[in-house]
Amino acid sequence: MITVDRLTVSYGKFTAVDDISFTAQPGRVTGFLGPNGAGKSTTMRVMVGLTPATSGQVTIGGLRYHDIPNPGVHIGSLLDASAQHAGRTGREILTIGAQTMGLPKKRVDEMIELVGLTDSESARRLRNYSLGMRQRLGLAHALLGDPSVLILDEPANGLDPAGIRWMRGLLKGYADRGGTVLLSSHLLHEVEQIADEMILIGHGKIVARGDKATLLAGANSTAVAMVTSLDNLTLGNALTAAGHGVEPAGTGLKVLATPEQVGRIALASGVVLTDLRAGGAGLEDLFLELTSATAREAVPGMAPPAPIPGGIPA
Amino acid sequence: MSTAPLTLDLSKSGPVPFGRIVTVEWRKMVDTKSGIWLMAITGGLLALVMALVVLIVGLNNGQVSARDLVQIFTFPVSILIPVFGILVVTSEWSQRNNLTTFTLEPHRLRVMGAKLVAVSALAVGTIALAFVLGALTNLLCGAVTGNPLVWDLDASQLAWTVVTQMAFFAMGYALACLLLNTPGAIALFYVVALVLPLVVWGPLYFIFDWAKDVLPWIDINTALSPLTTGANFAGEPVDVELINYVQGAWTLILWVGIPVTLGLWRILRAEVK
Repeated sequence: MITVDRLTVSYGKFTAVDDISFTAQPGRVTGFLGPNGAGKSTTMRVMVGLTPATSGQVTIGGLRYHDIPNPGVHIGSLLDASAQHAGRTGREILTIGAQTMGLPKKRVDEMIELVGLTDSESARRLRNYSLGMRQRLGLAHALLGDPSVLILDEPANGLDPAGIRWMRGLLKGYADRGGTVLLSSHLLHEVEQIADEMILIGHGKIVARGDKATLLAGANSTAVAMVTSLDNLTLGNALTAAGHGVEPAGTGLKVLATPEQVGRIALASGVVLTDLRAGGAGLEDLFLELTSATAREAVPGMAPPAPIPGGIPA
Repeated sequence: MSTAPLTLDLSKSGPVPFGRIVTVEWRKMVDTKSGIWLMAITGGLLALVMALVVLIVGLNNGQVSARDLVQIFTFPVSILIPVFGILVVTSEWSQRNNLTTFTLEPHRLRVMGAKLVAVSALAVGTIALAFVLGALTNLLCGAVTGNPLVWDLDASQLAWTVVTQMAFFAMGYALACLLLNTPGAIALFYVVALVLPLVVWGPLYFIFDWAKDVLPWIDINTALSPLTTGANFAGEPVDVELINYVQGAWTLILWVGIPVTLGLWRILRAEVK
């Protein structure tokens, strides 16, 4: 439904989005993941026609956003929950949206109820809203026109855990009814539970894509072990000397090696292990690995990210 | 993935009608505290002017004419109305709700056009209110002093007064489109509309002969003065010639046409974030 085709967005010499292509399918939740400044928001702004593409294009249902009549009833978007007039009440913001799209007024009440804002909250001005309330209002605005496509930029930002769970349910149900959902996040655990497919982006380029299992299968090709010992310093030095990447992790170490390799080195250097297990190659680690070369904080001591084989090509 | 992109069900929507965008933009002018305050201040100022005129005329047993009253009442209007024209544009950028506005109607020129229609209606309404209050003031003064009423205004003068007010109002809108920044646009507007005429153009006009020929090509007021009042900037009666119309049109191009063109060009191309 959403087709991003060789999209590039440059600002002078800086390339924010670098030749990316992917699709978001109906009936699925597509997670768009990357660290801050990776190009997620820029890509989403291009989708709804707010940012011009330098080259390439985005189509939704085969149409460019500009060519979609009354786009609000087809595509619901939430790009920045705070980008509303601070002096308007939540209800007024929704009323303006509903009026523009030509929707009946009762739609506003329905959406306020759906996102769990109370009557008194909806009568407050936006400047008095918490971030979580703004996100709920923004979601209500995106859903106003009963669209078949949702484009949400960091919608879970500022929501409390109960709110995040509620939103997951909402979006899952929406996709199950055939809707297309694209949501971005820099927090992987927010997305991994609901996304049917994930697009990982770093420094304007797609670094991996696929469903959770595919991504993890790819990630497991790099062995990781978590180890805690009575003398982490000595063990760390021994591991480094043996050519394994090491970084501190909690009370122990995270090592780019198999548990067996770590165990042998510990035995050889006479260090007592208190915990050793196959490395938490969760998506979180994968995510950090893939984007560490491009993220602001490189993970010290880790090997540079290897390209992940087995991702689903677009 | 090879699945062909599914299409949107376009049967459930036609384009957003222009009239609906105008209605929405009108609503957006009056649904915030700042909008309500601006209108209240304008109304309050007009009422205050009315009260002061009646008081002064009544105390002095003086005489006012409709022509004086138009001058008096258009002053607060000319100061405040352009602010509407500025805010209707710049508040979208300072409050960043243009993100939503241009998402729901991606044809940005239609939105800017709807804003202009809505805020022009407001400007015309305010000018009409000023005229009504001015006429009421004339009646009240006559009633208070017992002096005969003077209605020395003809339709053309009235029309040109409206044109001048609308010209300044349009300049506010144009400068707002150009700068997209509330304090900047308001400051530039007052410099061009008030400060320069009082501080720079005025002295030049009276000191240098060349200024009398040059200024009507630069300043809207100087250019429109012969058309509005039949007198030049210095108050000397003049015969209106073709060149006065040309100068009037040119100053409008200079202060409205050029900035609004550059501004809309920028709005069309700019990234909204």
